[in-house]
Amino acid sequence: MTTADLSPDEAARWALRAGLPLEAGRPDTVAATANHIQNVIAVLRELDFGETAPAATYQAAYAADALPDAVAGAEERADAAV
Amino acid sequence: MRPYELTLADAAKAIASRELSPVELTDSVLGRIEAVEGRLGAYVAVFADAARHTAARAERDIAAGGYRGPLHGVPMGLKDLIDVAGLPTTASSRVREHHVAVRDSAVAARLRDAGAVLLGKTHTHEFAYGLTTPQSRNAWAADRVAGGSSGGSAVAVAAGAATFALGTDTGGSIRVPSALNGVVGLKPTYGLVSRHGVTSLSWSLDHVGPITRTVADAELVLAALVGPDPSDRAALGEPPTGHPRRTDADLTGLRVGVPRNYYFERVAPEVAEAVHSAIVHLGELGAELVAVDIPMTKYIQATQWGLMVPEATAYHEGTLRSSPELYAPDVRVLLEAGELVLAGDYLRAQRSRTLMRRAWAELFTAVDVIAAPAVTSTAARSDQQTVEWPDGTMESVSDTYVRLSAPANITGLPSLSLPVGLDSAGLPIGMQLIGRPLGEATILRTGRAYETTRESVSRLAPIAV
Repeated sequence: MTTADLSPDEAARWALRAGLPLEAGRPDTVAATANHIQNVIAVLRELDFGETAPAATYQAAYAADALPDAVAGAEERADAAV
Repeated sequence: MRPYELTLADAAKAIASRELSPVELTDSVLGRIEAVEGRLGAYVAVFADAARHTAARAERDIAAGGYRGPLHGVPMGLKDLIDVAGLPTTASSRVREHHVAVRDSAVAARLRDAGAVLLGKTHTHEFAYGLTTPQSRNAWAADRVAGGSSGGSAVAVAAGAATFALGTDTGGSIRVPSALNGVVGLKPTYGLVSRHGVTSLSWSLDHVGPITRTVADAELVLAALVGPDPSDRAALGEPPTGHPRRTDADLTGLRVGVPRNYYFERVAPEVAEAVHSAIVHLGELGAELVAVDIPMTKYIQATQWGLMVPEATAYHEGTLRSSPELYAPDVRVLLEAGELVLAGDYLRAQRSRTLMRRAWAELFTAVDVIAAPAVTSTAARSDQQTVEWPDGTMESVSDTYVRLSAPANITGLPSLSLPVGLDSAGLPIGMQLIGRPLGEATILRTGRAYETTRESVSRLAPIAV
């Protein structure tokens, strides 16, 4: 298992790469939390998955129904915007 | 006995036989809310006039021969992640300050069809991303946490301020507050109850379910909630299966798995003792107790976090960029840090879930139910951040509350939390019964057998008013 902690500057750059500019004063606390999360999750790298497929949850039969949900979601976001 | 003290099953019987009117029951519960809400903080909003109006209509419909079933005319609360048309769904967050739901969620519509009376919306830890619900106080001790994230729902039911309520459960959020407030919480099989119109924390781990005074009550509410829903892509559209419905307390032939590892490790001694005693009682009722080993325990927290953290961040993508300052600090930093989780790690968590589901399916070839503590310890003090275990290890309050809950979220297995006693400080202890996929009937039957032979465990919290 190998992992590497992010410095606050690296966390800010990674967040920006993900499309989230961190406000001034945020990188320290975000880096600390992100490193803690990464240290918990990284243990999964020990597992030998072989041919194991990921267990996602959506059923393909309903994929064609995506549009109504997307429309409803847009309404909710408009309501939630402050 | 005053009407607000009635269980759902008893209230339903009284309403069906016209000994109690929905208006009388609703007035009694609204009076109880008025008396206790100031100290409990269970509700975001109470809609007293609308509730009285709905109750009056139920009374007229029942008088006209239109009785719809056991929820008709019964007052209840909804966790404020659950949409009700025309009302705000605040998620207990400033981010949702101007939100109004366009239409009913699937569960709100089902409860409306069943004739239930909406009292109000109950507090959640902000967006369900936490295990304490700081806005609410424990019904048994005001200086203790309510548990979360469905803290308001559990506190309201425990106090008689709702005859039943709904919660959501992504990492224990129905079972944890239920256990800490001495009530019953059911996290159904993943997909059994539609989540359409319910604010998500983590799509692949979220469940909606009842919080009630008794196991029998949970069964009544579940029956009203299940059914196919094309709006929820994960909805199973299948009824629960399992043992045929039986009302006796004879558990002969039932194999109850008792974990040798994980579920009794780093657990408060009084909790372990109470749950062991409850399991022995299941044996006295005829169940065969079978020692089992829980698989892949080293990877449970990693899998839970690997799924939940990036999914939660994805859900909040828009508002995390437009108004991050409106989130509470504990939630904001988790959402921001979630942007830094790698896709490869998310996929590892999904593949781990595949392995874990297989391993648990194998476990259930040897047993019908697994019985274990619902939570490692009783309600923490409101200002408490960590728990120290006898082996010298420290654990955050949130981590310890999720620890025994997460396996049923990752695997999607149904899990029932029910009260099995009090610790020496007078705080409730919960036992968890985990079943096979769609095995709700079996865990409910087991829980019912326990509660009908241990009546005293389902009493209201003792709140002096």
